[in-house]
This record gives sequence, structure tokens and C-alpha cells, in this order.
Amino acid sequence: MAVYKRTYKAYAGAQTPRWSRFLVLPRSSYSRLMQSKFLVIYLMACFFFPLLCATFIYLSHNLSVLESLNIPVGRLFQIDNKFFEFFCGFQGAMACLLTAFIGPGLVSPDLSNGALPLYFYRPFSRTEYIGGKLTLLIYFLSLVTWFPGLIVFGIQAELAGWQWTRDNAWIAASIFVGLFIWDVFLALMALALSAWVKWRIAAGGLILGVLFAGAGFGAAVNAIVRTNYGSLLDLRQVIAVIWSQMFRNEQSTNVPVPQAWIALAIASAICLWLLTRRVKAFEVVK
Amino acid sequence: MNTTVTFDNVSRFYGEVLGVNRVTLSIPPGITSLVGPNGSGKTTLMNMMAGLVRPTRGEVRVLGISPNEPQRLCHMIGYATQFDSFPRGLTGQEFIYSFLRLFGYSHDRCVKQAETAIARVRMTGAAARKIAGYSKGMRQRIKLALAIAHDPRVLILDEPLNGLDPLVRNETIALFREMAHEGRHVIVSSHVLHEVDQISDQVILLSNGYVVAEGQIHDVRGEIKDHPMQVWIRCAQPSVLASKLFEMDHVVEARLAQDGAGVLVKTRDADRFYRTLNDLAVNGIELEGVTPLDDNVNSVYEYLIGGESR
Amino acid sequence: MMAQIASVMRLELKKTFFSRRGLWVYVLAFAPALIYLIHAVDVTRDHEHRQALAAAHPVATETLHSIKEGMTTDEVVAAAGEPYAVKTFPGGRRRAGGFRDLAIYQYTDGDSDFALVLVEGKVERINEQDRCNLKKDSAIFATVFQFFYLRLAVFFGCVGIFMNLFRGEMLDKSLHFYLLAPMRREVLLAGKYLAGLVAAATIFVTGTALQLAALSWHFEPGAVSEYLRGPGWGQIAAYLGVTVLACIGYGSIFLLAGLVFRNPIIPAAGVLLWESINLFLPASLKKISIIFYLQALCPVVASPDRGLSLLQRLLISSAEPPQAWVAMLGLMVVTLAVLVFAGRRARRLEINYGTE
Repeated sequence: MAVYKRTYKAYAGAQTPRWSRFLVLPRSSYSRLMQSKFLVIYLMACFFFPLLCATFIYLSHNLSVLESLNIPVGRLFQIDNKFFEFFCGFQGAMACLLTAFIGPGLVSPDLSNGALPLYFYRPFSRTEYIGGKLTLLIYFLSLVTWFPGLIVFGIQAELAGWQWTRDNAWIAASIFVGLFIWDVFLALMALALSAWVKWRIAAGGLILGVLFAGAGFGAAVNAIVRTNYGSLLDLRQVIAVIWSQMFRNEQSTNVPVPQAWIALAIASAICLWLLTRRVKAFEVVK
Repeated sequence: MNTTVTFDNVSRFYGEVLGVNRVTLSIPPGITSLVGPNGSGKTTLMNMMAGLVRPTRGEVRVLGISPNEPQRLCHMIGYATQFDSFPRGLTGQEFIYSFLRLFGYSHDRCVKQAETAIARVRMTGAAARKIAGYSKGMRQRIKLALAIAHDPRVLILDEPLNGLDPLVRNETIALFREMAHEGRHVIVSSHVLHEVDQISDQVILLSNGYVVAEGQIHDVRGEIKDHPMQVWIRCAQPSVLASKLFEMDHVVEARLAQDGAGVLVKTRDADRFYRTLNDLAVNGIELEGVTPLDDNVNSVYEYLIGGESR
Repeated sequence: MMAQIASVMRLELKKTFFSRRGLWVYVLAFAPALIYLIHAVDVTRDHEHRQALAAAHPVATETLHSIKEGMTTDEVVAAAGEPYAVKTFPGGRRRAGGFRDLAIYQYTDGDSDFALVLVEGKVERINEQDRCNLKKDSAIFATVFQFFYLRLAVFFGCVGIFMNLFRGEMLDKSLHFYLLAPMRREVLLAGKYLAGLVAAATIFVTGTALQLAALSWHFEPGAVSEYLRGPGWGQIAAYLGVTVLACIGYGSIFLLAGLVFRNPIIPAAGVLLWESINLFLPASLKKISIIFYLQALCPVVASPDRGLSLLQRLLISSAEPPQAWVAMLGLMVVTLAVLVFAGRRARRLEINYGTE
């Protein structure tokens, strides 16, 4: 057997620490995503409502401005838990669309181009892969949900004073926890669905379908079977029930809160199962 | 009737990326090979002939027909693209049959023509199997079958020999020759230069979207003056031959082989060199063999494109 | 030309009907029918159960209707006899001054179920659960049909079927096979559109028909015949026709979206939003939507149901409905305009799979 000159030497330089290696994926994906003009425009649009809320809060604390504009002050909404729950509902809906736009582009292309082995034959685990992709999606979703939510809360706190802030600090916690749970769920769902659909476009359609057609299907079940359990298929209504509880408001539907939590947990578990099943190593004999 | 495929000052840009630029060509019947490195514009030229891509500027005509009239053009052309993808769920026979039906032919005619085309590419045995289960070579052949199924006058083939085993490769080349012999255009793109050399009546060399040379290989090689043509001559008296050759002004180098079996000559005028060599042979220099070393597509490619593609 | 259109349709129909990736369209189309069927089975079983209970505890409907709030337990039992079920909840009702005993007495006349809520031995509330009737169920069907089936099931089904016609082929890198056939691009477009239409209409019309069949399955033949003799056949025809028209309208839009946009989900979301905010649009803009015409053609006016989510309620349009012929003509005009535009785009269509 011929013995060739051994010139190969393994890389011996510094390595990214194991704990932060998953961040390699969001870093590269982030710059790619931000090249999309549509995404940038959409992100800007997502900040329109928080800006409107901030303006509204400012005006409600400066009644003299409103009176000078002949606006009936008495009709204005109160800045309270209902106000922030509505904020969550609106930004949560914007997050749904954002998920449908950017979520599918994270896993589907890796699958359709057979790129998963490129990740996994490096010292990069499946958990790190999922973690990396989730991190990026949660980052973008946070950017349009709890992050502006807390800023709006901060503006109100600043203008309303220490007493109000101390009494309503739990609202800030509800904004963060409530929206973060929704962000994590949306991110999980987006990755799970896009992991099972090779086409990026189809995955986007599927996410929209689950969120919107699911809502309709739930309503149809309610109407036909004369029940409220169909609402558990409407994930946006499920999270709305959870938010109602978190913001200590009256529910708009008859879905019990514990069942809403269970429904969300089951949906998350299904997503996680779908995702791990798809990215785990397997052999295909065709 | 117009019998050429013409490009008149054709340019094609993909956004800011150049596909091809100012291409003016007239391709006669016979086997024409498009040769060039990746991204040189071969596929763009072929797609423009077939109407799959439109020129940004200029005009393409295939036998006088504009690609803007697919209803006339596609009767004339058969195109086997480089895309290795097929409609889902079809067998080879169904694939050919279904797309022949798009030509408006009757069921019987489609069945017959599909069978004939499949037989011509030696795929009869696998015609009833799903294409999804075909090997790379079989998929290449079924694409070729579709391209020839409607008996086109212009056959456009993008890398048609890729993935074919040597036996099928020879059969396919024979098929191209047969079609060219019938007076059809067979326009082939290939990276395998020795095959291009073997099959082409003429070549079109492309580089970075420009046509750098076109015509018969020998003529093209003759035009490359800055690379003297190399000829290897085996003879019994190489030193005598070398001294005779040095007297000629077009011979720039004559190097004796180390084993004394011949002489390597570099000349700027191949035609004059061969005439002189003929005279020398008549006058008593015994020649055992004359082999041009770089009068082929490989060398032409190396001289015209090689430097750029590196 | 007709032979070519037929050939395109043959290829596309096979792909649309039997492709594994299109199975979800069947789920969308037939899921409501399945719910109606489950409901029908449930109602039939429930009715049989009530009949059995009524036989064991006979009581006349008039007697049950004569029970009023404020009557005592003894008065109720004297009038209607022993209930078929009693549920007691000692201290189960919170009232000012403490917790009171709660009891529920259940009666049935074989058709309806009466639950008498008694607090401290007096009737506080009477919950009457009627047996389903065709009139009520028709109203529910109208709501589900308009707010779920048309706006979401047919909508998303058409997104899947019609966008796949061109964009799907682009993604599969197989569109060039069609473009290399000797036919005008408009002919190809027509063939693909008709194939999509036949497939979508077949799937969703069958879905609608199955829903109607499942809806009326548990009713007595006499009631169904009466319904059919009255508005029945007309309504059925209208629902099936509206389903076909929805496929025609949405199909043309999503065919165009698949031709024009590299990521057709963005326009699909846009159309969904546009159709959803139809309620808030001025009259002139309302007319540039599909749902406006479809709702006008629906035989039963659907009203927002309390059980519907906020989303569903938002989807409801309160536009002044145009006349049926105007609606059909309007829809056809919108569809034709979209298809003409799609034809122009198809003519300029190029193969550039690399950018997909």
C-alpha cells in the first residue's frame, strides 16, 4: 500500500464555546433575513401600533392638549390591564403573520436542499440546531411583542408615577410572560410545520392555515355540535383566554382557563414531537 | 426556407448579472457544440432558442421562427434541458405520451411515437416503470426521448451525455450523428471536450457571456496565432528532419525527442507546414507518423478560455 | 386547441386529485361534513335515549311548559310526576347571606329536554334544550358555510390548488415541459385553470353536498321531504352554485398570484386580510372582492353567532347585497379581468428556476 506524505492537520485554533455554539445559526440567518425589504417594512409596520399606544398614553396624561384640540376627554380609554391585554392581542396577531413570513425560511430550505447533514457532521447537535433556529425566531417575535409592550408600559409608568407603577407592576410581568409564551409557541409551531413541508411557500401557507383555518374550524365545531370545546382548536382564542387570566380581565369566551392551558401545552408538545422526529437521525430506504 | 438558427446581436441580463452579451451567430445544420466554462452562457443561449428565456436585446430566430410563437416553434425544436426533474408519479411511457398529447396528436399517434422514441434511446424495458425510480442515466435518456419524440428539426441538448455509461454514450452519440446526417440541427452543450471533439461538426466557444470563437475546430485552431501549432513527427532521421524544418520561417521550434524517435515541431502556419512536410517526404525523408498535438477542442479551449477560467 | 387544453387538464387533474401533498385539501373540504355526521349520530342517539326516558317517565309537553319559575318542588312533582334524573348540590348556589341548596330536576317529553334549576326548593330557572329542527340547523349551516367553508376552507383550498399550478411546477422545476409544447401560453393557462377549477369544484361541491346530506341525515324523512318541497332544492342548488363560484373567483386570483409572486403566501395573506376587512370597506371597494358577491348569492342570511370568535365576527360583511344576477356578473367580470391579466403574465413567463 502506498504511503503518501501526510499533510493533513486538524484545525487547532480557538473554538466557539460549546454553550454558545447554537448562536452561530441565528447570526448567519439574521443577516440573510434582514436583506428582505419586505421583512424590514413589515417590522416597521409592527411598531406602528405601539407608537400609537405611546402617543395615546402621552395624550391621556396631557389632557390640556386634548382639551385645546376639542377632544372629549371623558371618552378616552383607561390605561389599565384591559388596555394592555388589547395591546397583547394586536401585537400577538402581528406576530402570527411575522411567523408565517420568516418561520418557514428557517428549516424548510435546509430540508429541501439536503443541508441537515452539513450541520450534523460537524460538532453541532440537533438540540443546538433547533435551539439556534428557535432563538432567531423568538428574537424577531419578541421584537414586535413584549419588547414594545414593556416600552409602552414604561412610558405609562413614567407618566403615571411611582404609586401606579408599584400597584400595576404585575401588568408588566403579564405582558412579558404572556407574550413570551405566545412567541415560544409560535416559534415552535413554525419550525415544526416547516420541518415537515419541504416547500418554504407551502410551510408559510400551512402556518397561516393552522392559525386561521383552525380558528374557523373550531368555530364550525362550536356551531354544529353546540359546544365550546371547538374554541380549543383556535390557538389565538386559547392564548386570549390565558391572557385574560393573566391580565385579570373577564373572559370573552366560555373556554375554561385550565383547559386553555392544557390545549396550549398539548399543541406545544405536538409541535416539539413533530420537530424532534423530523430532525433526528434516521435512515430512508427507497 | 430558412435553415439556420440565428442570433442577431443578442444580449441577456439577469438583473445586473450578464447572461450573454452581443451574440451574433448563425448555426447551420449538423452537430454544433457549445463549449465554455460554467456560467459562460451556454444554457442561456439554449433557453433563448427554445423560448424559455427572452433576450433583453436582439433577436433570435430558429429556422426563421421567433421564439415568441411557441405554437410554431415547438413543433420544430426538441429540447432536453439540464434540469433533472420530472412531473411526479409518471412512468417513462406516460411521460412521453402525456407531453406528446400536448402537441394535439391523436391517442394512437402519441402511443406510436412514444414507443418509437423510447426504443431509439434503448429504454423500452424500463418504460413502464416510474421515472422516480430511474437512475441518472435513464433519466437523461428519457429526457432525450421526449426531445426527439415529435421528430423535431432542431434538437437542443444541454449536457446530454452526463451520467451515461460508455456503451450508452456511444449509442447516443451515434443517434446524434444519425440525426445530423438527416440534415437536422443537433446543438449540444458539453464539458467533456474529447467528446465534443469527437462528435462536433462545429463548435461555439463561450466565455463570460461572449462568443470567443465559432466554426470548425481546425479553422478555429488555425486562427489562434499566438499559440503555434504543435506537431509530433515520428521518423527514422529526426535530426535531419529538424534541420530541414528550421529553414522554414513559420517553424518556431523543433525539439528532438530524448529517445531519438522523432521531433516535436511548433509552427505558426499549419497548412504551409503540412505542404512542406509532404515535399520532404517525397524527397526521401522517411516519416513514420504525424500527429497534431493541439489541433483539437481541448487545446482551443485551453488557449482561448483556459486562462480566463482559472 | 381544445385537444391541447384537454391534454393539459388530464395531466393536471391527475396531479391535483391524487397527489399526496394535496391531501390536506380533502381534509379541509370534508372535515365539516364529518362534524355534521358526528353530530347527526350524537343527536340520533340522544333522541333514542330521550324516547326511552319519556316512556319510563311519561309527561306531556304542555305540562312541562306549564311549569313556571317560583313553583315549589312539590308543585312540580305534582304536575309533572317524578323526574327521570335528579342532581342535588347541597350549598351549591352562592347567594347573599350564604350558600343555598341547589337541585336540578330533569324531564323529557321524548323530544326536548327540560332542566329545572331549583334553589332552596323553588324553581329558579328552566333550561329547555329543544330537539334539533331543520330550520335551526339550516341557519347554523348558513353561518358555518359562509364564515368557515367559503372564507377559510374553500379559500385555503384554492390557495393550495391554484398556486400549485404554476408556482408548484416552478418549485418542482418541471414547468419547462409545458412551455416546450407547441401551444400558446394562454392555452396553457386556460388548461391549467380549468383543471384547477374542475378539481376544486369537484372536491368542495362534494364537501358541501356531504355536509347537507349529513345535516339532514338525522331528521325524519317527512321533515326532510317538507323542507325539500319548500325552499330545500333551491337552497341546495344555491349553496352548490356558490361553492363553484367561490372556486372560480378565488381560483383566478391565486392562479395569478402563483404566476406573479415568487412567494405567493404574501399575496394570499393580503387577499385573506382584504376579504376579512370587507365589512369596513366603502361600498365601491367592497365590490372588488370575491366574498361580497358570494355572500349575496347565499340563500340564507347568516348572522354572527355568539359562539363565534372575534375573528369570525370580524369576517362578517354587512354590505347591501346586490341582486343575484349582478353578483354573478360581477364575479365573472372580476374573474375574467384577473384571467386576462394572468394570460398577459403567462406570455412573458420565463424559466428561471435558480431564483426559486
